[in-house]
Amino acid sequence: MDQTRTFQFCGLTFNVGNMISGLIVAAIVLGFVYFCSRKIQMKPTGKQNLLEYMIDFTNGIVKSTMPSGATKDYGLWAFTLFFFILVSNQLGLFLHIEVGGIVYVKSPTADPIVAMSFALMSMLIAQFSSVQKLGYKGHFETYLQPIPYLLPINLMEEFTNFLTLGIRVYGNIFAGELLAGLIAKMAFSHGIATLAISAPLEMAWMAFSVFIGCIQAYVFVTLSCVYVSQKLSIEE
Amino acid sequence: MLVVGEAFNIGDALFYAVLFIILMWLVKIVAWKPVTKMMQDRSDKIANDIDTAEKSRTEALELAKQRKEALVNSQAEANEIISKAQQTGDKRRESIINDANLDAKTIKENAEKDIAQQKRDALASTKDDVADLSIEIASKIIQKNLDANDQKTLIDSYIKGLDSHESN
Repeated sequence: MDQTRTFQFCGLTFNVGNMISGLIVAAIVLGFVYFCSRKIQMKPTGKQNLLEYMIDFTNGIVKSTMPSGATKDYGLWAFTLFFFILVSNQLGLFLHIEVGGIVYVKSPTADPIVAMSFALMSMLIAQFSSVQKLGYKGHFETYLQPIPYLLPINLMEEFTNFLTLGIRVYGNIFAGELLAGLIAKMAFSHGIATLAISAPLEMAWMAFSVFIGCIQAYVFVTLSCVYVSQKLSIEE
Repeated sequence: MLVVGEAFNIGDALFYAVLFIILMWLVKIVAWKPVTKMMQDRSDKIANDIDTAEKSRTEALELAKQRKEALVNSQAEANEIISKAQQTGDKRRESIINDANLDAKTIKENAEKDIAQQKRDALASTKDDVADLSIEIASKIIQKNLDANDQKTLIDSYIKGLDSHESN
């Protein structure tokens, strides 16, 4: 793990690097949608087409996993989540700022805390949807389905869902950044010879990481939707 | 190195949760709402356009059908008008001929009546002339003035005899 700069506030620990990275990601996402959504017309032009395609894409994820009619309720969440995770996954590949050994800008999702935060958010939304649909009593009774002594198994499943959801994206992105960093270190270790070998290797790995980042963002959102729809489609 | 619990700062998690919620809200205001509304409007418009196209197509078909019917009807009407005209013409002709026939008949009858009347008149005047003449002749022959009136009756009866003789 790289060194990080942290500070205490209200008894909570905050990581400066993560905060800066998160803000940058949010700014990129917001700036992009702001840029694309100017002058919206009935006959869409280039920018608007792009934005509408993206909205259709995330709506498609929601439609394919959730019961019908959920696009209206979960579309915005899926859209924002997908693009936040996507940009988070790519950010560290293009922008890795270290000052005096302390990382200030990298992929937020390469940090387990951030990845697990998003996983926790998705699980909480799933729980919330279930409570909204069945009420508290009905919701907690689902853990006793199909037979009561499966309660620990159900709780375990809930927990492992959360764990795998977060760790999957974290592991992929963290490994990608780690290897990219290692190749970079190798490039500057023995002068021109290693540089010549490392440069194409690094490029190939970067391209692969971009691909992985996109796939992981898609998988994360799809699984989040699946967990929510599992809760939504429980029959009384 | 990869221990999650070791560096799990609740602060970061909270920060990201808040950041994400704020971002979601901003995206909703900036892009999501207007774009989805526009997409909805567009799909509505397309649906409407399809409906209207369908409607206008059926209307056009309806109109064409009506036109055809009207054409057929007008032809039938024209035929009817022509046949009516022919019928009235025929009627008129017949009535005119009938009238003419009647007129000719009455004229002929009148003429016959006139002729008969004239014949009767001519006969009557001849009767008188003959009576006078015979009286004159008789008086000339007998040399004696007869009472003309007495004689007249005699001659009338005689001429009546003539008449009936003639008609038989």
